[in-house]
Amino acid sequence: MTNESLPNDRLKRAWQNQPSEGMRMSVDEIRRRAGKFQKTIYWRNAREYVAGLAVVVFFGFMFWLSSDVLTRVSCGLVNVGVLYIMWHLHQRGSSRNLPADLGLASGIEYHRRELERQRDLLQSVWWWYLGPMIPGGVAFVVAQARTSPGHLRHMGLSLAFFALVVALVGWLNHWAARRLQSRIDELNALEGQR
Amino acid sequence: MPAPPPTQDELYREAADTYDAALERLARAYEADAEVRRDLLQDIHIALWRSFEGFDGRCSLRTWVYRVAHNTAASHVIRERRNKSQTLVGLEELESVPAHRDGELAADRRYALERLLELVQSLKPLDRQVILSYLEGLDAGSIGEITGISPGNVATKIHRIKNLLARRFREGGRHDE
Repeated sequence: MTNESLPNDRLKRAWQNQPSEGMRMSVDEIRRRAGKFQKTIYWRNAREYVAGLAVVVFFGFMFWLSSDVLTRVSCGLVNVGVLYIMWHLHQRGSSRNLPADLGLASGIEYHRRELERQRDLLQSVWWWYLGPMIPGGVAFVVAQARTSPGHLRHMGLSLAFFALVVALVGWLNHWAARRLQSRIDELNALEGQR
Repeated sequence: MPAPPPTQDELYREAADTYDAALERLARAYEADAEVRRDLLQDIHIALWRSFEGFDGRCSLRTWVYRVAHNTAASHVIRERRNKSQTLVGLEELESVPAHRDGELAADRRYALERLLELVQSLKPLDRQVILSYLEGLDAGSIGEITGISPGNVATKIHRIKNLLARRFREGGRHDE
């Protein structure tokens, strides 16, 4: 036995002989917890829909309350944007169920797919999240600012702030997507040399 | 008459009987916090039981069990990284980091295991899969099947792991038994 393999073999033995904490569950217990897990996912999704609907109700109420045409148009546009985002999240499956091929996909395949799913969501943030909120957001800012004294300056500042927030959120998502892409490239390089 | 294929429950029982301890070690390598680790281990067992609904014998039970466990744990790591912005490193980067000067303390098995766990937990998910499979005594072919890494890359990574472990745990090698 070489000097190099000695600590490795010893480490392997030490690793494999670690004391167990004894957390074994019966099949019935597993089945019960799997059911609970499904319910957790169901309620997590339900919470997302309720939060979205709360926004819709709020702007719906403002639509009903206001007599100003531009405010009413902006509330309508915000709600269209929110409903589109909710539909998109539903299509994508924001709180996903257990993937069917968990045992068939190798570590690389599975990991890459997870990263690609996140990257695509971040990369397309302009289409499904920021974009749909821009018309309603701009209309709402203009509708609120034009009634205030010195409205042109107020409107300009409000719009600039809104644009800055949107651009920052877009840039952060784009930056995060690029970081994920470099991790995906690493995985592709590992698999590429088969 | 051929025997009926094993049911989902039977497959799970067989897997749990055989790999229960290995799954516990795997969860330990992916999560340092004891409470969260219990949840992760529970998630792995649930994922395993549910996955056997679709087990068709295309790969061995062992490969299936490790893939499900590693993939579930990898999702956990991705989620945690998002929450904690934790920085993980690759084997290549670890190789260039000088070893601690407290090698003689590695003579204590418990201390050596703690350090080994720290090292494993700092690795990127795929490198973690390789080192864990190596520590569990799996051969290069099986590691490639579980991880999807090419045979050449598995061989390179195992070589790096051997060097890394030998370098970091060399001093205590003669005294820990």
